[in-house]
Amino acid sequence: MLDLAIASQILWTSFATSSYFVLFALAFALVLKVNKVFNFAQAAIMSVAFYCAYVAVRVLGLNGFFGLIACFAGGIATAIAIEYFGFAKLRTRKASPMFVFIFTLIVSQFVSYVLMLIFGTWPTTIFPTMFWPVSLVGGIAISAWDLPALAAMATVLVLLWAFLRFTRWGQFMIAVADNADLAELYGIKKDRVMLVSMAIAGAICAVGMFLYGTRAQVQPSAATELMLFAVAATIIGGIGNLWGAALAAVVLGLVQNSSILFIPSAWQGFMLYAFLFLAIVLFPRGFHWPERASKLKRKTVTTLPASPSEANGG
Amino acid sequence: MEYIVTIIILVGLFVILAASFDLIIGYCGLISIAHPIFYAIGAYTSAMLAKEAGVPVPLAMLIGAGAALVSSILVALPSLRVSGDYLLIASIGFQLGLIELAKHFHEIGGAGGLTNIPPFLIREVGREAYAVLVVVIAALTVWFVRWMATGPYGRMMSALRDDELAFSMLGRNAIWVKVSVFGIGSAIAGLAGGLYAHYFRFIEPDQFGLLASSAVLTMVVVGGMRTTWGPVVGAIVLQLLPQAITFFGLPPSVLGPLQGIMFTGLVLVFMFMRPQGLVAASDLWRGREGGARHD
Repeated sequence: MLDLAIASQILWTSFATSSYFVLFALAFALVLKVNKVFNFAQAAIMSVAFYCAYVAVRVLGLNGFFGLIACFAGGIATAIAIEYFGFAKLRTRKASPMFVFIFTLIVSQFVSYVLMLIFGTWPTTIFPTMFWPVSLVGGIAISAWDLPALAAMATVLVLLWAFLRFTRWGQFMIAVADNADLAELYGIKKDRVMLVSMAIAGAICAVGMFLYGTRAQVQPSAATELMLFAVAATIIGGIGNLWGAALAAVVLGLVQNSSILFIPSAWQGFMLYAFLFLAIVLFPRGFHWPERASKLKRKTVTTLPASPSEANGG
Repeated sequence: MEYIVTIIILVGLFVILAASFDLIIGYCGLISIAHPIFYAIGAYTSAMLAKEAGVPVPLAMLIGAGAALVSSILVALPSLRVSGDYLLIASIGFQLGLIELAKHFHEIGGAGGLTNIPPFLIREVGREAYAVLVVVIAALTVWFVRWMATGPYGRMMSALRDDELAFSMLGRNAIWVKVSVFGIGSAIAGLAGGLYAHYFRFIEPDQFGLLASSAVLTMVVVGGMRTTWGPVVGAIVLQLLPQAITFFGLPPSVLGPLQGIMFTGLVLVFMFMRPQGLVAASDLWRGREGGARHD
C-alpha cells in the first residue's frame, strides 16, 4: 500500500538527485544550440572532471574545495581541447555531420578506455564515504547533500540565464546559435564563441559530476549512461530550448526514481534507454510550449495597394 | 591448428560485419553504430531456437537473420521518419537498452551468458569445414555488397547520400531506400551472429556493447568507407593486431582497455591524418562496367 510519507520521501529524493541530471542536460543542450553538435564527447568531459576531483581528494589528500577546483579544471580543459583540436578542425575541413558524430563518440570511448587503464573499472567516489547526515523535516528525511546540490543547480541555472541575457558574450552565443554565418558578417568570431560555449558546458559538467561523485559511485564508463539521459532530456525538452531540457531532466529524474514504487530496482537502468527510444518515437521535436506574447515581437509593415489596378495585380 | 582456424573464423565473421556495416554507413550514409546489436539478435535467436526448440541450426541461423531484419526496421522507421541524425541516438538507445534487458532475462542466460549452444558441422565434419563455410559466406557478403553498390541500387544510395532533397524531388522514396538498406545490412549481421553462436557456443550481452561497435566502426573507417576491399583489409588488420597484444601475457584488466584504446585511437588518427582510410574510395559513382558516371 502506498503511504503518503513514502511517496513524499521518494519525490523529494528524486527531486534532489535530478540536480545533476539538469546540469548534464543543460550542458548538452547548450552545445547543441550554439555549436550545432550532438556532443557525445560530453561523456569524456564528465569522466575527466570526476577523476581530476578524485585524484585531488583521494590521491593527493586535498580538501573538497580543491577537489571542486580540480573538477572545474579537468572539465573545462577537456572541453576546450575537444573544441580546439577536434570540432574547430572538422569545421575548417567542412566535415559531414556523420564524421563529427563519429568523432564525438570515439573521443568519449577513447577517454573511457584511457581512464580504465589508469584507474581500473572499480567504481569509486570523490569522498571516502557517500553517506550524508540526515535530518527529518516534516516527516521527510533531508540529507546534508540535498540542499547544497539543489542550490548549486539553481545557481548554475541563474548564472547561465544572466550570462546569456546580459553579457556581450552571451548575446554573441545567441547570435551564433541563431545564424552563425550572419553573426560572422557582423564581426562576431564564430570559432571563439563556440570555444566559450564548450568551456561553459565543461564547467557545468564539472559541477554536475562533483555533485554526482559525492553521492554515487563512478567508473570510467558511467558517464555514457548519464550523458544518454541528457540526450533524452534535450530531445524531449525541445532541441534548442535550454530551459525545456532542464525541466525535462527534472521530470525524467522524478519518473525514473519514482518507478521504484512500481518496478524492481534492477530495471531502473533499463528505463533510461526506454526514455531515449520513446523520446525519439513519441516526441521527436520535443514538447511544444505555448507561444508567449513577447515585447520584442517583430513588427512587419503591410503595404496597401495604391490604386485599384494594383490591387487587382494589373 | 585449432587456434589458427578460430582466428580465420573470427576474421571471416568480422569481414561479414564490416562489409555489411559499410553498406549502411558508407554507401548509404546512415549514421548508426549499433550494428553489433543485430549481430546479437541473430546470435541469441539462432542459439535459443536450436537449443530450446530443436530447430535445425541452418534454419535457426536464417530465422536469426530474419529477426535482425525485423528489429532493425522497427528501430529505423520511427527515427528516420524524423531525421537521419536521430537514427544514431535511437539505435544507441536500442543497443544499450537491449543489452540491459538481456542481462535481466535468466531464460536467455542473463548477465552470465548463454552456454551449451548446439554446435554446427564441428563434430560431424570438423572445425576446418566451419572455417570454409564462414569464409565462403564472408566472400559472398563482400560480393553482394559490391553487387548492390555498383548496380541501380548503388546509384540510388549514392544519390541519396549526396543530396537527399534532390533525390526526393525526383519522386524517389528516401525513407524506403534507407530502411531497406539498414534492414539488409542488419540481417547480414544477424546471420554472422548465428555463425558465431554455433561455433563458440557461448554468448553474453556485454560482448555486443560499445566496444564491439568501436571495433566494427574502426574496421570500416581504417579500411576505407564505400570501398569493396576497405572493410576486408580493416577486418583482417584489426582482428590480427589485438591477437598480437595477447602474446604479451597482459592481465585482462589491462588487455581490454588497451584493445579499446587501440581501436578508438586508430579511428582518431585516421579521421585526421587519412580520412579516406587505407583503401580510398572514388569520388564518383562507378557502375558494374567500371566507368565513372556523373549521373
